[in-house]
Amino acid sequence: MNEEAKFDRGSALSIFGSDRREDFMAMVFALAIAFGVYISY
Amino acid sequence: MVYTKKSPALFIIGVIMLAIWWLADSGTMAPYIEHLANGKKYKYLTELTTLPLYFGAVAAVIGLWQWFGSHKESHWDYYSSSVAGGMFILLIAMLVRWFVAPEVAVISTGMGKVGETGSYIHKLLGLNYVVIGILTGIIIVNVFKIPAWAENGVRLSRLGLKTGVILLGTLYSAAELKNLGGLSIVMIGFFVLGSVGMVLWIGARRNIPNSMGGVLSAGMGVCGVSATVAAAPVVQAKSVEIAYTIGTILIWGVGCMFVFPIIGNLLGMSHVQFGAWAGTGILNSAQVAGAALAYQPDGIETLKVAEIFNITRVLVLPIIVLWLAVWYVKREGETAHKVNVGTVIFEKFPVFVLGFILMFALSTTGIFAPANHYKGKYFGNTPESGFKEEKLLKADQIAVLQGEASKVERADRKDALQRLMENGKVMSIADDDTLRGLVNAKVVSKDANKILKGAHKAVRHTAKKIAAFRDWITWLFAFGLVGLGMQITVGSMRQAGGQPAVIGGIVGLIKAVASLIVVMMLVSETV
Repeated sequence: MNEEAKFDRGSALSIFGSDRREDFMAMVFALAIAFGVYISY
Repeated sequence: MVYTKKSPALFIIGVIMLAIWWLADSGTMAPYIEHLANGKKYKYLTELTTLPLYFGAVAAVIGLWQWFGSHKESHWDYYSSSVAGGMFILLIAMLVRWFVAPEVAVISTGMGKVGETGSYIHKLLGLNYVVIGILTGIIIVNVFKIPAWAENGVRLSRLGLKTGVILLGTLYSAAELKNLGGLSIVMIGFFVLGSVGMVLWIGARRNIPNSMGGVLSAGMGVCGVSATVAAAPVVQAKSVEIAYTIGTILIWGVGCMFVFPIIGNLLGMSHVQFGAWAGTGILNSAQVAGAALAYQPDGIETLKVAEIFNITRVLVLPIIVLWLAVWYVKREGETAHKVNVGTVIFEKFPVFVLGFILMFALSTTGIFAPANHYKGKYFGNTPESGFKEEKLLKADQIAVLQGEASKVERADRKDALQRLMENGKVMSIADDDTLRGLVNAKVVSKDANKILKGAHKAVRHTAKKIAAFRDWITWLFAFGLVGLGMQITVGSMRQAGGQPAVIGGIVGLIKAVASLIVVMMLVSETV
């Protein structure tokens, strides 16, 4: 199966175009969760 | 192309989640839950009566829109198409954690303990929700294939793992890093540099290309797949060499993930010892987390230690990239293209590690828990700081301690014990640490130790925010690891064939055995 032909963005391991973008998205999610926990508890 | 599939799948997943919630919340499922509890308290009832409701509602609404809505090619279409696969992974994680793993435990317990080990087979094999979740993922991808509507979402699993690692930063305190950091730097420094050097040395003797040896050494030495990707441009590795390296790492990492917990159980390793061993000996970040959670599925101490070692290893990456750059240029001489090492490090350094450090910095300020918290718990022996008066030691418990007091010889332990008996509770953090040392030293009887442990628990309180972070981390890792299983195909395993697998096998085995010996000799329960 040719993953690159099937998905024109990301890789077989990630939907993001680069590891850097995935890292930043993980940071955004983590900060959002941390903020949610901070104001909820 | 339009990525969103007009499929009822996501809606059906939502309905299944809502059905699980209703069956649990209405009590219809009570007899089954009692069966799964196996005579104990069922641990997941709160999760079972909340999470499927929230996620089921979201999945049902988005599922209806995906099924009946019109979709056009766009960024929104691309990213929203991943919701179906994400919910698919989440549903599997839920089913495995709440039902399959407890059922396996019930069956295993019914079969009785294994020989002289004193353990049940599911504990010996580490068959908990983490391992079963990964195995389920592997079976789905290799036997049934990933459905087209779920393909995009499966690729979210690494995002889940990275988010979980960043949030782990909230659980560490400066005190822990001070204790674990020094040890991890020494161990990781030795084993990372040793592994890289060994792969390069064996590779040169077995005449594999320098690019292959270089990329394999980074993968085997540092942190698996991400190190492989980071080192690849420095040694000008070809894509097939990267694939071989990743295949080797995967097959070794997956093998270690299942074998390490079994060995840990057989050797009776403490959480700190196992965490240190897994964080040093296992190649890839995801499998380090998998093994740590497999070893201690209902606690996070092992995972925290393993991740500290793992993150220390990631931080060594720039040094390895520099080393490989110099090594490669030397070996290849003038044929090597000029590679800007600084640019490669800047471009490839895993930024999520900085997120972990940021969370740790935030946690250290005391915004999530009192700044002196240790392992997410803080000291408090007054009603205002969370101490419950009914936890004061009873007269009979004090009598037991008084009967054992003569066995205690060290002056600091004697004094701390005296203060405990006089006040009925632990009076300071220093006393708490001293009495924990007394428990670990096994000086007094089991009954007295039990009372001391109770007194310790009474003055240690888990901050609500930290408890919430633990739940988030558990689920992010469960999600990420089920998705990881769905990326482990027989084809990727076969990629490990040939020389890289042989070299990787030799170095991986030496690293696992040597780090086990060092951990057993140097790492104590409390470090």
